[in-house]
Parts: sequence; structure tokens; C-alpha cells
Amino acid sequence: MLLHTLNRSPLSAVLDQALAGMGPDDRLLLIEDGVIGALPAQQARFESVAGRLYALHEDLESRGLLSLCAPAVRVVDIEGFVALTEECERAVSWY
Amino acid sequence: MRYAILLLDAPYTSQAAHSALRFTRALLAKGHAVDGVFFYHDGVHNAARLAAPPQDEPHLVDAWAELGREHAVPLQVCIAAALRRGLLDEQEAARHGKQGASVEPPFELTGLGQLVDLGLRCDRLITFGP
Repeated sequence: MLLHTLNRSPLSAVLDQALAGMGPDDRLLLIEDGVIGALPAQQARFESVAGRLYALHEDLESRGLLSLCAPAVRVVDIEGFVALTEECERAVSWY
Repeated sequence: MRYAILLLDAPYTSQAAHSALRFTRALLAKGHAVDGVFFYHDGVHNAARLAAPPQDEPHLVDAWAELGREHAVPLQVCIAAALRRGLLDEQEAARHGKQGASVEPPFELTGLGQLVDLGLRCDRLITFGP
């Protein structure tokens, strides 16, 4: 099980690369501008990682998006980010 | 666990340096060992000794240096990426006939082999890209 981080908005082709590179148990953590993907209107893009999609609390908050986050997205703070890297055997960064 | 951090972008260019710093602080707060922060590509600008951001903004260079000193975290700067961007310690400045150094301890200029070593030695290598 790998942790993938994505720091680009869903408009970026990097999202498609990240999704294509993910295994069936891997987790995806949205950070920086990637948290735009946590909005309800974007959830169709993330159907293949349902239940395995996370977004960083601090980056949602700094963009004013915390209260707008889709219910299916698991919001984790920086300690939660650390915990995800502990649980997953490796981390892959998409940028 | 033993962690290493790879930072690939300059301060104040993208959020990468902020993210890496926040993550590294969280690691240390949780009691993890951070065997090194490796600055590569434009990330070498995080070691710019002469950085003078406005006083009401975070001073990322000082923040890395403070973290390095307080927690004995090696701050390793890719020497090849640094030299071509004008980031030289005293030894390299002398070698290249330049007046003044732009990198000082606790940052250290080092080879890319150190990044390979960190990747092999640590349980986790976390990359923060541009």
C-alpha cells in the first residue's frame, strides 16, 4: 500500500497520471492546490479512489474550502499526513 | 521511524518549502528521526544565506537553519544544483574565485550520492515538488 500525494488542482493532467499510477489499495492525499479536488463538484474525477481519498486540513483552511469539502473526502491535519506515511510503505509525490 | 525529506522548489516560489517545513516539524514533534533534508533542483535556494524577506513574512531560510540546529537534522544541498545557481559556501567561493559565500552552516553542500544514501537508509523518503 502506497501513499500518493497530489499538489495540483483537478484541472491538471497530473491528476490523470496519479490516478493511473495508483494500485487498488493505495491512498491519495490532496495537498496544496490539490485540495480543490475535495470539492463536491470534483468528486466524479475521483470515483476510482472512493474511500481512499484524503485532503490536508491546513491547505483546505488556508484556501477557505474547509466547510465546502465533500463528505466522502477524509480530512486529515499535518499529524494525519505523518500517520499516513507511517501506515503506507512508501510515498509517491505527484506535482 | 527514520525519515528523509526531498525538497525541489525555491522558497516563495511555490508552497513546497512551506509544506516540507511543516511536515518536517510534525515528524520531529511526533518523535520520528529525520536523517536529512535534501535540497535539490530549485530547492537549493532554501539555503540562500542572504535571503532577506519582509519581516512580517516567514523567513524560510532561517526556519530551516533553526530546525537543523535544534534537532541536529542534516541540511544537505546538492552541490551541482547549487553552484550553477550561485549558491556557494566559503570553500567553493574560494575555489571559483568568487567574493563572499552565499551558503553557510548548518547547510552543507554535498553530492547527489547523499540523496541515494538517504533513500536507502531511511524508512521513508517524502518528496515536496514544485
